[in-house]
Amino acid sequence: MIFTSFNFLLFFPATVIIYYLTPVKFRWLTLLFASYFFYICTKPVFALLLAGVTLSTYIFTRLIDSTSIERRKKLLMQINVCLILFPLFFFKYFSGINYAILVFLESIHVRLDLPDIKLILPIGISFYTFMAIGYTVDVYNEKIRSEKNLGMVALFISFFPLVLSGPIERAKNMLPQFNAIKPANYEMIVQGLKLMLWGYFMKLVVADRLGIYIDAVYGHVSQHNGTSLLFASILYPFQEYADFGGYSIIAIGTANVLGINVIQNFKRPFFATSMSEFWRRWHISLISWLTDYVFTPLSFTFRKYKTWGIVIALMITFFLSGLWHGPALTFIVWGLIQGILLSIEALTNRKRAGFEKKHNLNRKGWYIFAGICVTFILFSASEVIDRATSINEAYHVFHRIIATRGTLFIGTPSTLIFSGIGLTMLLLKDFFDEFLPSRMLLFGSKHKFVRIMAYSSIIILILLIGVFDGGQFIYFQF
Amino acid sequence: MDRTAVINKLTGIFRKVFEDNSLVLTDEMTANDVEQWVSLTHMLLITEIETDFAITLKLKDLNKMHTVGDMINIILSKFETQ
Repeated sequence: MIFTSFNFLLFFPATVIIYYLTPVKFRWLTLLFASYFFYICTKPVFALLLAGVTLSTYIFTRLIDSTSIERRKKLLMQINVCLILFPLFFFKYFSGINYAILVFLESIHVRLDLPDIKLILPIGISFYTFMAIGYTVDVYNEKIRSEKNLGMVALFISFFPLVLSGPIERAKNMLPQFNAIKPANYEMIVQGLKLMLWGYFMKLVVADRLGIYIDAVYGHVSQHNGTSLLFASILYPFQEYADFGGYSIIAIGTANVLGINVIQNFKRPFFATSMSEFWRRWHISLISWLTDYVFTPLSFTFRKYKTWGIVIALMITFFLSGLWHGPALTFIVWGLIQGILLSIEALTNRKRAGFEKKHNLNRKGWYIFAGICVTFILFSASEVIDRATSINEAYHVFHRIIATRGTLFIGTPSTLIFSGIGLTMLLLKDFFDEFLPSRMLLFGSKHKFVRIMAYSSIIILILLIGVFDGGQFIYFQF
Repeated sequence: MDRTAVINKLTGIFRKVFEDNSLVLTDEMTANDVEQWVSLTHMLLITEIETDFAITLKLKDLNKMHTVGDMINIILSKFETQ
């Protein structure tokens, strides 16, 4: 079941009604049942894996808390991290490794009858595994006490708004909320519904409409000229943002309707003026997770190398981030590019900051605009490699962008027109939220009429130009 | 080593790492209060603290350093255990 499916339109209102009819004390149980029902509807057998990760995490976190011997605590933490990482590693990389072995054997003329195994990735496995790892490490680091109630741990790991694609939440934020569920809060419910509406707009009107054009161009790279490929490459980061950002806002809104607060996952990323700022605004929950559980331990380990220790830690962290996207060379190269760009910024940060301060550049519009443009160009260029099916294809895209010119491919004109309307609205909202947060209010206007008109127009746009057969969210594959 | 001595020495380290001789430490001070207190300078701070105070910090200590006050307390705890 996904947020844009008809089943979710039935499941969610039913869950909300049952949830608020349940006595406050037992509402967490309603959420737990709803979450497992939601997950089982996707693929029943994978719920066993979810339950296994939960049980292992519960047992080991309780054991970590029950011992005072540091070495034992560390060993227990490491065992659980390995145990729950194993299914993720198996489902995500086994097919790739198996295929690589087959190709290697064939290249040296060894023919073995190894089957070409293709495994289906259990949906959400990366996201709930990361949440379980974070919880285990936090208990080990004494940031949080282990939860005594197995049901609460199960709810934290399976909470249906987050289980498929995050945001990757922390136990420290979620467990206290589940343990002390508050009575219905009208304002929070309304806020949640508004967020969901905006999320659906981003997904159905912007992302899936842009996707039609981008798929048409990237699906036949050799048939398109540089102009069309450049245009599609510029649009792709917006599609990703509208798709995953939209998903995240629906997830946060869904949780809000149930009275649960969830961390922000995107913060107007295309107004970042540097790559490091960009990564503080894009997929925030993953980057903060990687910072806490990968980058910080690595940079601490390599601290004696000072600046170069940070560079090594950055490169390894983003290499792993690329690998997390999938066992493909394109993702690994993409990750290394991010690592290189961030390392350059880290190495030049002090001098750059001094120069900017001396000339008061951070307050100058042209400098901010230039920073936004350069950041966008760097990110969208790296996304060509992420979007391409192979390094070879990415090379062809870059080559054709530089070497060939011609008329822009339009396809169905309505696709570009509707995409343009949706994208303009999305970017205008982000622009006003970023630079004029209290001056231009439509959705947050104090006048009820303005608010009603703003939300009504969003509903009308979704119904008129939304794509209702756009399929899954991009990030479900991870 | 007492708290005042730790604060004095730590102030010197902060001024050196952040190249700002006007920095005055407070217990409540966090990374948000100091310009350029980012991941790189944070690790430089850690290595300077380890060298100047001749102590070894653990990752767990690092995770508990939310404010300058936490930092001072962790440094003091290292001298107590020595």
